[in-house]
Amino acid sequence: MRDLHLQQLRLNQTQRVRLQTALQKLQDVSPSSAAATVAVADNIPVNHEDGVLKGHGTSELDGQVVATLCGVVERVNKLVYVRTLRARYKPEIGDIIVGRVIEVATKHWRLEINFSQDAVLMLSSMNLPDGIQRRRTATDELNMRSIFEENDVICAEVRGFQHDGSLHLQARSLKYGKLKSGQLLTVPPYLIKRRKQHFHHLENYGVDLILGCNGFIWIGEHVETSNGVMEGDGGNKVEESNESSSHSVPLGEKGQRLMSLETRQHICQIANAVRVLSTLGFSLTTEGILEAAKASISLGINTKDMLGAEFHVQTAEREVGRRMSLLRKKG
Amino acid sequence: MASPASYALRRHQQQRRRPLQDDNWVRSDGRGFHQCRPAFLRTGAARAASGSAYAEFGSTKVIVSVFGPRESKKAMKYSGIGRLNCNVNFATFSTATRGQESDHKDFSSMLHKALEGAVLLESFPKTTVDVFALVLESGGSDLPAVISCASLALADAGIMMYDLVASASVSCIGNSLIIDPAAEEEDCQDGSLTVAFMPSRREITQLTLTGEWSTGRIHEATELCLDACSKLGEIMRTCLKQAVSSST
Amino acid sequence: MVGLSAGEKNFIRGGIEQDLRADGRQRQDFRPILIETGVIPQANGSARVRFGATDVIASVKAELGKPNPLQPGRGKVAIYVDCSPTAAPAFERGGGEELSTELSAALQKCLLGGKSGAGAGIDLSSLMVLEGKVCWDLYIDGLVVSSDGNLLDALAAAIKAALTNTGIPKVDVGVGASPDEQPEVNISDEEFLQFDTSAVPVIITLTKVGREYIVDATSDEESQMSSAVSVSVNSHGKVCGLIKRGGAGLDASVILDMVSAARHVSQKLIPLLDSEIDAAEAASLAGQGSDVDP
Repeated sequence: MRDLHLQQLRLNQTQRVRLQTALQKLQDVSPSSAAATVAVADNIPVNHEDGVLKGHGTSELDGQVVATLCGVVERVNKLVYVRTLRARYKPEIGDIIVGRVIEVATKHWRLEINFSQDAVLMLSSMNLPDGIQRRRTATDELNMRSIFEENDVICAEVRGFQHDGSLHLQARSLKYGKLKSGQLLTVPPYLIKRRKQHFHHLENYGVDLILGCNGFIWIGEHVETSNGVMEGDGGNKVEESNESSSHSVPLGEKGQRLMSLETRQHICQIANAVRVLSTLGFSLTTEGILEAAKASISLGINTKDMLGAEFHVQTAEREVGRRMSLLRKKG
Repeated sequence: MASPASYALRRHQQQRRRPLQDDNWVRSDGRGFHQCRPAFLRTGAARAASGSAYAEFGSTKVIVSVFGPRESKKAMKYSGIGRLNCNVNFATFSTATRGQESDHKDFSSMLHKALEGAVLLESFPKTTVDVFALVLESGGSDLPAVISCASLALADAGIMMYDLVASASVSCIGNSLIIDPAAEEEDCQDGSLTVAFMPSRREITQLTLTGEWSTGRIHEATELCLDACSKLGEIMRTCLKQAVSSST
Repeated sequence: MVGLSAGEKNFIRGGIEQDLRADGRQRQDFRPILIETGVIPQANGSARVRFGATDVIASVKAELGKPNPLQPGRGKVAIYVDCSPTAAPAFERGGGEELSTELSAALQKCLLGGKSGAGAGIDLSSLMVLEGKVCWDLYIDGLVVSSDGNLLDALAAAIKAALTNTGIPKVDVGVGASPDEQPEVNISDEEFLQFDTSAVPVIITLTKVGREYIVDATSDEESQMSSAVSVSVNSHGKVCGLIKRGGAGLDASVILDMVSAARHVSQKLIPLLDSEIDAAEAASLAGQGSDVDP
């Protein structure tokens, strides 16, 4: 019962040794800040003469600054705070996030975003289907469900915070909005670093990859954002499939247009690459994910076998190689 | 091979051999009267939860998962402070004879009281933190194990706390005080004292006493408990620090 | 339970139709299976089984008791499943009650055979100690630690592994006891009888989504099912139990087809489980278990 979280992999003895070696090497290579780790109720050494601002995760006891969280002590000028490593999502304005609608309320939608509170997307922060900029009328309020309904997956941006700490979102730009054909994965938020780009159109694969800062990752069929008009719900309507060109497009049992097998294959490969990196606790970057996906193809590993022990060990070893070569270039 | 310790007939026979006021009495696992069982602690045992911890104290095994902070249900009134929801369950195979866990219905509320004093409820207003404890094997001193393990799980989940909560209990058998009683010692105890303690702040968050005690005895037993809690607190702290540095 | 958007549902259904599920599996593929035995030292036998993210524990406890007067030559077996809140907060305080009862009942039907005792996974007459007076009562407890679909199959596999791990002590009955008295029993510490688990069946649940059926569904896939059929098959290829779950009606030919599909899958699954169980037993006997302390 004494469990390491990597226990979910069926490692034989050699694989276990290889994996531990790789993880150990990674730890040695990365800068460790063991000196600054604190646990709850540890004293944080501060220079009292300088004056100190007690930040997040600290509290005062008998004139001493004491930690209320476990993590690493960070100091910025006079500010002292504790940064947790396996942190919960900490929203910032401008973050791109992926969320799921849990409620359609008056003039706004509530979204679940893997945060302690739900986020709010106001009707006014959302483009209308006809694309016209105008005041929202009562009819618009009644038709909210035609835009987003319960359980829809949406991509949006953090606009600001409400007074009680919950988030306000906006989805005015065309790249935001409902996400349709694909799958949503949940990973620990601290594995996703903030970058310039969170939307990635993987051209070789025909796949959209969205790395939400809140830990929700969307992998779906590529959608062309055409000019100004919100995509209607064209997902599974019975289309006029009388076009003869549609023989190349697979049809489902109800005659609806199915994704091509190739695109689906790519989506599954990218999704499995994300799962593997997440299990190993590696940061999720587009390059890393594409690397892992390419490696699985070049090694001839079946998509479903990517979730097996061998590929995990190989990915860890590959990461060690990558970091070592980075170090060599620097040093 | 699994060792058989679960026959109704056998338990009966063992209970009859009760240690009496015999100075030469030795504890069944060879411990000294004031010696606790070695603790094995591990955080991050359950990945689906925000935080979790697994603890073994001899044959007592506990796993605690913490979920949240998450939105409180709408039915709750608006509250400026957060809500802590505690739940303690015994696995059906945790006790030697099935169905014995009905004695422990109040563990959930006792866990809540022990943790309440340590958690900064103001740090997560309007939301709820769920603490689910599961006793996998009940080998004595179950509640102290649950409390200590829950405090680790809360720290693992990043919930702000004034201090960790360590807990220990002392049994009074005849003239002797023994700390961290095992299940068969608890079964024949004359009285017991359970303490939940914040080692750095030196504050007791919970204290329960059963049986007849003289004041002097109470002092002695409390001192024993606080000492054990301080030592356990150090072990918990080391465990958390190791977890932090290994994930850097 | 978190719902799924229309787009996600379509993705899952489409995948099942095109034989490429969300994690790359085909319709008849199982997730990676992990088995550990002897995880509950105080039980007579125990095992922990993982199908991907679904994690269950089964434990077997044997206690001496009196046989049912209607069946004096047999022991008794009781199966009970508990869904722990650590698996999902929804299971708190009775939330998992309905699911637990359903799983317990399904397991009992599949493993205990007909009323006469024929076809039972466990030979109840082997549990007898003294006819009419003393028998072994087996309590099989299942615990759901983490749930991502296909709980029934995982629990059945865990029970099979736990029974393989179970040792029932040998009992010597005191002779010369008068027919009315409770006889003296002497439970051996040394000698154990291992169960013959070759007759213990596995359960394969076929979940129907659209026109096709899949094995080992995840929670997301289960949410899209129209109905499901759980078939219990033993190593001789015989069907030991069948339960239809879920709402939609099924044509009889479909059910028969599902039965043969289940038997086909079992031909791969049973040897796989057996070898995993043997490996787990060997590992736990070697004393290191299958985990390493850093």
